[in-house]
Amino acid sequence: MNEVTALFLRRIKAPLILMVTVYSIAILGMILIPGIDENGDSWHMSIFHAFYFVSYTATTIGFGEIPYPLTEAQRLWTVFIIYMTVISWFYALGTVISLYQDKAFQTERKKSRFKRDVRNVNRPYYVVCGYGETGKAVVDALLDEHFGAVVIEQIEDLSEISIHDKLVHVPYLTADASKPEVLEYAGVHQDKCRGVIAVTSSDETNLIIAISSKLLHPNVVVICRSDNKEHEDNMLSFGTDHIINPFESFAEVFRMSLHSPSMELIYDWLTGAPNTSLSTPLNIESGHWILSGYGRFGKQLHKELRIKNIRTVIIDPRKKIKTEFFKNNQTDDDFIIGTGTDAETLTKAGIDTAAGVIAGTDNDSNNLSIIMTARQLNKNVFVIGRENSYKNKLLYKKVNDHYQTDIHRNIEDISTVAHLTMQPSEIIAREIRSILIAPLLIDFIRLAAHEDQEWANITISRLSAVIGENRPYLWTVNITKENAPAIAQALGFGRSIQIKHITRDPVILSKQLDCVTLLLKRGDESFLLPDEETELKAFDQIMFCGLRKVKYAMSPTLTDISLLNYVMTSKNEAQSYIWKKITLLLRKEDKRSSPR
Amino acid sequence: MNREKVWFSFFMILALTLNFGFFYGEIDDPIHHNVYELFAVIVVNLIATIMKFGDKTQMGAMLLATSLVAVVQLFAASFVWIFAEHIQQTGLTATSMSTIVALSGGAMLANIISVILLMIEASRFER
Repeated sequence: MNEVTALFLRRIKAPLILMVTVYSIAILGMILIPGIDENGDSWHMSIFHAFYFVSYTATTIGFGEIPYPLTEAQRLWTVFIIYMTVISWFYALGTVISLYQDKAFQTERKKSRFKRDVRNVNRPYYVVCGYGETGKAVVDALLDEHFGAVVIEQIEDLSEISIHDKLVHVPYLTADASKPEVLEYAGVHQDKCRGVIAVTSSDETNLIIAISSKLLHPNVVVICRSDNKEHEDNMLSFGTDHIINPFESFAEVFRMSLHSPSMELIYDWLTGAPNTSLSTPLNIESGHWILSGYGRFGKQLHKELRIKNIRTVIIDPRKKIKTEFFKNNQTDDDFIIGTGTDAETLTKAGIDTAAGVIAGTDNDSNNLSIIMTARQLNKNVFVIGRENSYKNKLLYKKVNDHYQTDIHRNIEDISTVAHLTMQPSEIIAREIRSILIAPLLIDFIRLAAHEDQEWANITISRLSAVIGENRPYLWTVNITKENAPAIAQALGFGRSIQIKHITRDPVILSKQLDCVTLLLKRGDESFLLPDEETELKAFDQIMFCGLRKVKYAMSPTLTDISLLNYVMTSKNEAQSYIWKKITLLLRKEDKRSSPR
Repeated sequence: MNREKVWFSFFMILALTLNFGFFYGEIDDPIHHNVYELFAVIVVNLIATIMKFGDKTQMGAMLLATSLVAVVQLFAASFVWIFAEHIQQTGLTATSMSTIVALSGGAMLANIISVILLMIEASRFER
């Protein structure tokens, strides 16, 4: 039996028994007390009439004294009936109402509705644990790709309402996802569940979610957020498929932009970072860097600067860290005690000759004021800002009012003043998005990191020729029976198919579809920007970049063997049995007549 | 001693005994079957049914089911009675009386099953 109905019936038991008892006593009295009819004869109510009388009296409908006016004795009993039955009704109603207001009952009801909703999700889905900024972005990405999403969030707030605005129904439960049974409610053990994405703000919770998901369903893909190396190792030991550390991810982006700013731009653009355009490459001059805030984030970026052998001046108010720093670093790096928010410290750190400034403290208003001061002192300096919380937008506004500078009047957040912004939630959401949508992107970035600035610039011009200022879309074609049946079949016949055949526009054969072939993966080998004459083999994976509509324009060629033949030979093929015979005959005629 | 069990057994067995009292006699003779006894059977059976509400055990579900069967049968019997007495106003003919008694006989069978289940449960616990 359903938990909710069971709870309801258990609670309603006592009032119902009381009502049955009170009704039967009332009916019994009504039957036994004699009445007087219009002729003055004595009469008794039948059980049916008594039940009728008690029913309308108890529910306060009160049709009156029928069929004959009551005697005084009957009236006295009716008074008893009224008080007894009405009280029992109130008791029953009160029980039901208080039950519906009961916290435990409401939770139980939400839980059973959630379980039913999860059962009714009619497509492969992912369970998203944690519905903060990251969770929201991940859910949007999932729905965009026509996956289902199921959300578990521990904190009860208004986001539950916002989730009902989505076009697709997203089951939502306010519960602690670190409890295995909650994951079970979300159907992690079901076949439909493709993966679990743990992006709560606590590393420990994410770790527990990863462990219990893997135990419930070993085949499920687990993607975890982690800010801490220890937890990361622990997650890995439990077979977590993808671990995303926002600090490490950002360090990678930073390394890329130091090495080749254009490459960083491609990465940003392909992973769908907001406000990126291919036409505005980053420009980093040579010179030393100023790093304010030597915490988790600062250390990570300092390591990258050290690899590149770039001199760094560190600003941090903590003296203990300074001694520690000089113990571990025997370089020409400097360390200044201070916050970096004032012009004095920044000038001391050599802001006027610096190539870049990193505002990496864990305080958003400090970071913002570091950026503002730095840009006032040196207009050309490259600025990297760390944004700790999305919720501090109001604070930025205040800082903005306080400064009232001409250059930056309408600052919404750090990302509008910095060249590069580290927003943990944004970075995680982007990375999860590319894991889900374009798993080959990781290979692409890894290979592309070895290429130089010139290569990146050529790639940028190729990409912008195809896509322009639109949002790019990545998709992967697997040469398998399921994904590209026509290609797989043709390859099975031993025919040679090249990449240019599938990128050809099936409507106008002389045209190529507007897309760029980013990567071809064959077994363990990956080929960056493969040539269009490259021959395909079974089980190849190809990643394309273009507009979303191009993906749909391409798919008929992949699935329809006769269309594929048409695209390759530009000849229409007979479809029906009879027409095939006729064309065969005609061809024979041709052959016979042609030599003459 | 479990007070809930005592009360439930009491109502269950009372329902059976009352039911038997109503059922016993010539099937089509209204003199052998008292309408107040039918009333009492219905009330007692209703209480016994409600007492099993929300019991999630297998035995609880079975007992709820058998009691519900009895209640449905008895309601049907009382409807036939009301129909004969008040709507058709033919009074209790041999036909309607035998229908009522037959229906209450079915209810009694359900009540017997309930009591047997009750005994099975009791014997399991008393060991």
